[in-house]
Amino acid sequence: MLKVWGRKTSVNVQKVMWAVAELGLPHERIDAGGPFGRLDTPEYAVLNPNRQVPVLDDNGFILWESNPIVRYLAEQYGRGTLAPEGRHGYARADQWMEWSITEIYRDIIGVCFTNFVRVTAKDRDTAAIAAAAKRVGDKLVILDRQLDGRAFICGDKLTMADIAVGTLMYRYYTLPVERPKLANVDRWYGSLSARAPYQAHAMIDWQPMKIPGA
Amino acid sequence: MLKIYGRANSSNVRKVTWVADELGLPFERTDWGRGFRSTDEPEFKRLSAFGVVPVVDINGFILRESNTITRYLCARARRDDLYPTDLKARALVEAWMDWGSSDLYAGVRPVFMGLVVKNPAFMDPAIIAAGAAEWTRQMQRLDGELAANGPYLAGANLTLADVPTGIVVNRWYAIPFEKPALPHVHAYYDLLGQRPAYQQHVRNGTP
Repeated sequence: MLKVWGRKTSVNVQKVMWAVAELGLPHERIDAGGPFGRLDTPEYAVLNPNRQVPVLDDNGFILWESNPIVRYLAEQYGRGTLAPEGRHGYARADQWMEWSITEIYRDIIGVCFTNFVRVTAKDRDTAAIAAAAKRVGDKLVILDRQLDGRAFICGDKLTMADIAVGTLMYRYYTLPVERPKLANVDRWYGSLSARAPYQAHAMIDWQPMKIPGA
Repeated sequence: MLKIYGRANSSNVRKVTWVADELGLPFERTDWGRGFRSTDEPEFKRLSAFGVVPVVDINGFILRESNTITRYLCARARRDDLYPTDLKARALVEAWMDWGSSDLYAGVRPVFMGLVVKNPAFMDPAIIAAGAAEWTRQMQRLDGELAANGPYLAGANLTLADVPTGIVVNRWYAIPFEKPALPHVHAYYDLLGQRPAYQQHVRNGTP
């Protein structure tokens, strides 16, 4: 049985849990991080010397870093579904996963989400939020073009690329930020949010995570 | 023929040129990006709408994102030593690639942008000092990891796990700022420095 370490409110844990659920794998999730602590214990350092969530334990095989975990699960348990077959198709999905980290993660999570959840309303940096939202919107225009005529990022099937990029979309769409009208991205996000695994693991209300005064 | 689009001093372009040379893969590189032709030019945008270097063209197959490119090139060359086909060994290599590109790199950016690029947004000494402190913390973590499990990040041989971190280690030594001695990192830097491809593309005097 798979074990996933990490609180369900972590966006990187959500990514892994969504993949686990799409693959229909029996699993157990163990709360760690945030209010649950545990990351500073010697036992956790054995699992992940970087003391972060998520960590995957697949019958004793321990792995950290969410995108490598998703690719591992996709290849091990979902070749031809979550992991595209063929070297070119696989590399294209991989590049969108990298893109989610190199181009949009910092602005959606590091700037916008952090400012609304971990900063009080009085100290909120509204100029930084607006600038970050603008950058994300500009980048999503390219995703919109990619999704033109395609149900999902790599074609007619949900893949690991949708998992990595899509996990960030619940927060993007529920944060009070300026968003350009992007018909294909809107339609794609709509189809993700109609999937039970996405609802269960990615659409986790973040309002309770706010610090007092946020 | 492999074509690489991007300036030779970009950390992400250097990952690709270093790996291409490790694979013995001939390539042709053209300068694009900061200080050279703008990636906003239509010629570049036709190749990749994202306007970010590096982009590669391998017999018509266009790919971007440096870590993805190095994984693809190694898989295509069937270099199991650099990028294992065993899924578990492969995943551990990928985990270190992500660590070297995210956690380890987070503090590098403000120091590099402030002290090397001299980007106005990063000239505040407090921003540079905070970056240096975070970078140092992660480098100490790297030193401990290499002491315990070295000499390379994924064990006995060079793998793609070492590529993002190898770029950062060169920056660490090439940018003058106050830093602690890290003997295991230094030994790692020298070990990488024995490789002609690393010397040519990474440890070449450019931070």
